[in-house]
Amino acid sequence: MDIWEVFQQRGPSDPYVHVGSVLAPDRDVAIVYAKECFFRRMEGRGLWVVRREDVHRLTDPAMLEQVTDKSYRYPEAYRGVVEKREKAHAKYARKDAPKVDSTVAGDEF
Amino acid sequence: MTYEDKLAEFQTRIDAGEKVETNDWMPDDYRLATLKFIEMHANSEVMGALPEREWIPRAPSLRRKMSLTAKVQDEVGHGQLLYRVAEDLGKTREAMFEDLIHGRTKFHNVFHYPTEHWGDVAIIGWLIDGAALVTQRALLDCSYAPYARVMKRICSEEQLHLRHGEDITLELANGTERQRWMFQDGLDRWWEPIMHFYGPPSNPDKDVLLKYRVKSKSNEELRQEFLDHYVPRILDLGFELPDNGLHHDSESGQWIHGEIDWDPFWKVVKGEGPRTEARLSKRRAVWDHHRWVREALSESIWKAA
Repeated sequence: MDIWEVFQQRGPSDPYVHVGSVLAPDRDVAIVYAKECFFRRMEGRGLWVVRREDVHRLTDPAMLEQVTDKSYRYPEAYRGVVEKREKAHAKYARKDAPKVDSTVAGDEF
Repeated sequence: MTYEDKLAEFQTRIDAGEKVETNDWMPDDYRLATLKFIEMHANSEVMGALPEREWIPRAPSLRRKMSLTAKVQDEVGHGQLLYRVAEDLGKTREAMFEDLIHGRTKFHNVFHYPTEHWGDVAIIGWLIDGAALVTQRALLDCSYAPYARVMKRICSEEQLHLRHGEDITLELANGTERQRWMFQDGLDRWWEPIMHFYGPPSNPDKDVLLKYRVKSKSNEELRQEFLDHYVPRILDLGFELPDNGLHHDSESGQWIHGEIDWDPFWKVVKGEGPRTEARLSKRRAVWDHHRWVREALSESIWKAA
């Protein structure tokens, strides 16, 4: 018997999420057990079972640490947009350009 | 790093509210106490299905029969999830089941009592599931993460069971005199086991489970939470609680129970409850009769081919 990790997908645009595990002799039985244990109420549209021995995990948490400054990967590094925009506007804005509301912090799409 | 250092580091992690995963280092007493606790919980789900199961053939309507069957299936399903979590702490499911059916491990005190009529199904579905949900909600913050994760699913299903139980209760409460009597009669017999539900007052200094935040609330706190929630609801339906000492404390706003007789509780703990042997022998019979199913499902068809 093997331990099978069970993953569930709620909707077509959702990621597969780990929900638990079952003990089963093969993948077919594992899928039946997973369905009975985790999907009695249509909890998802997708179901994966993966042998626990085939799941590999990060064992050294130090690998997640950032040893150098990586602040440029975060939005906080790009603050002050409003001031910069106003500065450019005061200096260079064309007279015939449409008015822009410079108090909105970011360009939202 | 010495064992003492590791232990101190572990306790610091626990105190900071960190979670423990299966592969993390953990002290032996943490592993053993957590395993024993989850095993007892799993046993109780599986044994707790029995008193209600007795009423599936005698349910008053087809719809009640279907919904009670589904509920019993949920409880057994919770047992499956919990045995799986317990197994990862180092004991096989087979060993846990063998220990259970031969009376070497425990199941919850409340499932050692007989059910007399459909009123008992209302009591179990509303008040006993309600009592269980108070405990189970407190476990959502358990330090052992795989257990906490499984509790999320269990709690959401228990929430539904509570509605199911309340629905049966309200049908009796709004029914004939005989139906109202059924609920009151059930209440009279079940109130004491319900007061025993959370166990005698905890000693926080000696409770390993509290120290390691496997449990976060003492037995007394849980019992109080139950009383404050359910006593007003029971009284609101016009039923009477069989406890002369029960009163509302206007200062604390709490419902204070009278003296609890713990003798019947200790009898159950020793395995001498009124239905302990009958329920265990039912489980033993099922375990033996269905051996062939377990055997058929334990070999891969791919290996056989």
